[in-house]
Amino acid sequence: MLNGLEKLSSVLLRLLILVFLLCIMPNAMAQEDDSEEEWPDMVLRDDGKCTKCHDETSDYPVFAIGKTKHGTVADSRTPTCTSCHGESDSHMDSDKTMPPMPSRTFGKNSTNTIEDRNQACLSCHQGGKRMNWIGSAHANRDIACTSCHQVHTAHDKVRDKITQSEICFTCHKEQRAQINRPSRHPIREGKVVCSDCHNPHGSAGPSMTLRDSVNETCFTCHMEKRGPFIYNHPPVQENCAICHNPHGTTAPNLLKVRSPFLCQECHEPNSHQSSLGTITGAYARNTLARGCMNCHTNIHGSNNPENVRNEGLFQR
Amino acid sequence: MASSAWAEQNDSIKRLTKPQSTIQFGAGYLSDDNARFGQFNGLRNEGLYGIFNVDILKRNDDTGTWFKLQGRNLGLKNRDIRLEHSKQGDWGYFFEFSQTPRFEPFTANTAVEGIGSSNLSVPTTPTAGDPVQLKTERESFAFGLNKFLPANFELQFHFKNEEKDGARIFGRGNRLGPPGPTATGGYEFIPEPINFSTKIFGATLNYSGKDLQLSAGYYGTLFENKNKALNIAGGSSIGGIYAPSLFSPIALAPDNQSHQGFLSGGYSFNPYTRGTFKAAYTAASQTDSFFSTQLTAPGIGSNLHGKVNTTLVQAALTSRPLSKLTLLANFRYEDRDDKTPVFLYNPNAFNIDLNGNRWSGFNTPRSFTTFTNKLEANYALPMNLRLIGGVDYEHWERTGAPQTTGHRNNTNELSGRVELRRTMAETLTGTVSYIHSERFGSNFLTNVTATGQPFFNLIAPINLADRNRDKVRLLLNWEPIEPLSVQVAVDESWDNYGDRNNSGFGVRSGNARNYSLDAAYTFSEFWQANAWFSRNETQIDQASRTPAPRELWSSKLENISTAFGVGVNGKPHEKLEIGTNFTYSDITDKFKQSITEVACCPGNTPVPNISFQQGRWNLFARYALKKNVGLRLDYILDYFKTNEWTWKGWTYTDGTRLSQDQNQWVNFLGLSAYLSWQ
Repeated sequence: MLNGLEKLSSVLLRLLILVFLLCIMPNAMAQEDDSEEEWPDMVLRDDGKCTKCHDETSDYPVFAIGKTKHGTVADSRTPTCTSCHGESDSHMDSDKTMPPMPSRTFGKNSTNTIEDRNQACLSCHQGGKRMNWIGSAHANRDIACTSCHQVHTAHDKVRDKITQSEICFTCHKEQRAQINRPSRHPIREGKVVCSDCHNPHGSAGPSMTLRDSVNETCFTCHMEKRGPFIYNHPPVQENCAICHNPHGTTAPNLLKVRSPFLCQECHEPNSHQSSLGTITGAYARNTLARGCMNCHTNIHGSNNPENVRNEGLFQR
Repeated sequence: MASSAWAEQNDSIKRLTKPQSTIQFGAGYLSDDNARFGQFNGLRNEGLYGIFNVDILKRNDDTGTWFKLQGRNLGLKNRDIRLEHSKQGDWGYFFEFSQTPRFEPFTANTAVEGIGSSNLSVPTTPTAGDPVQLKTERESFAFGLNKFLPANFELQFHFKNEEKDGARIFGRGNRLGPPGPTATGGYEFIPEPINFSTKIFGATLNYSGKDLQLSAGYYGTLFENKNKALNIAGGSSIGGIYAPSLFSPIALAPDNQSHQGFLSGGYSFNPYTRGTFKAAYTAASQTDSFFSTQLTAPGIGSNLHGKVNTTLVQAALTSRPLSKLTLLANFRYEDRDDKTPVFLYNPNAFNIDLNGNRWSGFNTPRSFTTFTNKLEANYALPMNLRLIGGVDYEHWERTGAPQTTGHRNNTNELSGRVELRRTMAETLTGTVSYIHSERFGSNFLTNVTATGQPFFNLIAPINLADRNRDKVRLLLNWEPIEPLSVQVAVDESWDNYGDRNNSGFGVRSGNARNYSLDAAYTFSEFWQANAWFSRNETQIDQASRTPAPRELWSSKLENISTAFGVGVNGKPHEKLEIGTNFTYSDITDKFKQSITEVACCPGNTPVPNISFQQGRWNLFARYALKKNVGLRLDYILDYFKTNEWTWKGWTYTDGTRLSQDQNQWVNFLGLSAYLSWQ
């Protein structure tokens, strides 16, 4: 009997312990949750679960995002880590030394599609100047936003006038060579940068020009060429790039080819227009100094109302 | 101890997460005068220059309010200052000042007086002058503000005013007698005065919804030239009625303005389909008063009444109807309607000239309409490959008439593209593509002589000529081992142009070839190096006909460029960062003319090749004396060499000559201190 009571007591005690344990289990869980509070948010909202590993000693340090606009938590629109990288449960739940990658990564070994990576950015940055991204030449060529932009750094090279061209030249090799030619824009000095003329996120203009056409883009700095004039030089109004290469040339004034050869690509071979290139003799006037423009002074057009001789020759 | 550790940790976290401000100040010494090195930064003359940069960046973490003050090159003539104050996601404004000099790389020795003004005095006989350094300088001031509004709206304003002052190379000239191969000319150096004001301003209302984004606004521009005409006193009277001294006044660029209203938008119909559009209407005008002159035709009014209205409609649709297939369609229509009234400005042009020609004396408004369409399909293949095919079509309609060049009313260009691309792979990605395009158009209009007989009609202008173009492009990115990446880019294109009436004149063919090799190597967390090489070759084959006896001649114009660069960056010590970069370019222009001497034109000398060599070596070292204080050393060696003859054999009738140092070396050594804080 006693043994029976002892056994009953023992069972009851074990049950009680079990119940107690069951009862305290949530608290135990809660305490485990509480333990996360030991890893408070360091930079972004709800980033503690990430920054407990990704501190400055990590292979993938993330703290520098705090210096950026993304890290301005007072702005309620700013993201948390998982906004861009996804929930990444398998990454966070793993106890392996090399856990699976987060749901979305942006580095060179990313397995996410370019569209998926870009969508993380476009979910917030699809308006304004980036409205035409989808369908743009860069988007069509599978360029990821992170091919050009660095997010986890205070200094995003492509947004700095001095360093922007380095980023563009990683693909645009021809232009890298052209900016060192003797006739050039001050790109090396950071006074004219690629984004002064192009919108890399797409535009309504050709070649992703900042304005709606090549000429309108050139006019933002060279508005004196717009006219209209009394006498218009036809290619001037059609497209500045018929005669000029804005990225740099060896001929003066960013001309694609030197006078008289450039002019002879359009002008009829009647008399002096078709002279040989020469640096001596009477027709050196078409080659030396300003070449054909030695006489045809106002080559972009003339607004001179004079009625003396053929004023359409842009001589005054 | 514990609180100290926490404080240390907090300091560390603050250092890593809070914006940082830096000022840098010091001085640099330029070893020699150098026109090319200093062309756009003002570092032209030997001597000391100030180094002063500021980058102040503050953020109130509680409110998300930023204050930014950035000043660059404050000790130089190409300085930039930007002040920005914003509450992120709420409001913001900025002010910006920028200064950009442009020094003419050639020095003029001239006796012309009044340079920089609209009243010049030119010697009547050749006169040796004094060295004059022409330059222009742009100073721009801009401000803007934005305000976020409820319901995902944002309002933006921007304004920019740029003043451009100085003088640049300009000239007047004429043949001093009846046309003929031995006719001499008179040419005078008359620098153009530059005193421009350019204003750009606008307002935009943006809406950014989850699926729908819209931008509506206004964009305006105003250009003002404070000099209307260049009045020139003096000059040579040799040549009588042909003398260049008669060419005064010379018109300068007229004031003009434009006003544009636009609406653009994008809509995501679903996660796989998105459309975008832009519609804009621009009214541009040029109503600058004519300057007074000797003789004008009756009835032309007081100004051109120039009016150009441009309508733009652009729309694009992208869709992924299948998981592996993406489609793109793009349509663009632009109508530039020149509504400038036509008057007879120049009745004298109707008189038969010495070549037996007569010309139109009417003003020449020109209108264009363009349609540009693009269709593209992108299909995913196995092995992370994608196959892309596309068709582009461009149609131009132009008004106008043949004058000294040919004219056709319409041109069309049809292009087909096929591309194989691999972007998602660990070691080798790349693209290979082929493009073929054909340009064709309506018949060229016929030029006629004063007596109504056809006479020109031999050259199809380069932008109007029939053209077949083939282009291949290869781009490879290879990462054979983790620290090494290699990039190879090759492209080549071939153009074949049509002529008029089987003349064989004009541009016949063109060829462009570009190839480059880039490599980057990461030795360790602290050392990286990169190197690149580029070769660019272009060739144009074109033909013309000499003055009587009208002998055909051709030229193969070549531009050959070889460039390379090497760079190393490292951190050999906890307190020391160093970096060096060397770039070099060698460029040659060749003018391969089929004949050099013809009966028409005695004394010809074939155009020599022109070559340029340009090199630059940059070196910097940055040493941290403390965590936030340090020193920076910069060294630049710049080299420019050329045999350019553009101005070498040229003397203006007034005696002006232009020259440059053909072998330019310069050293710049700068030492500065920096201080950072948070």
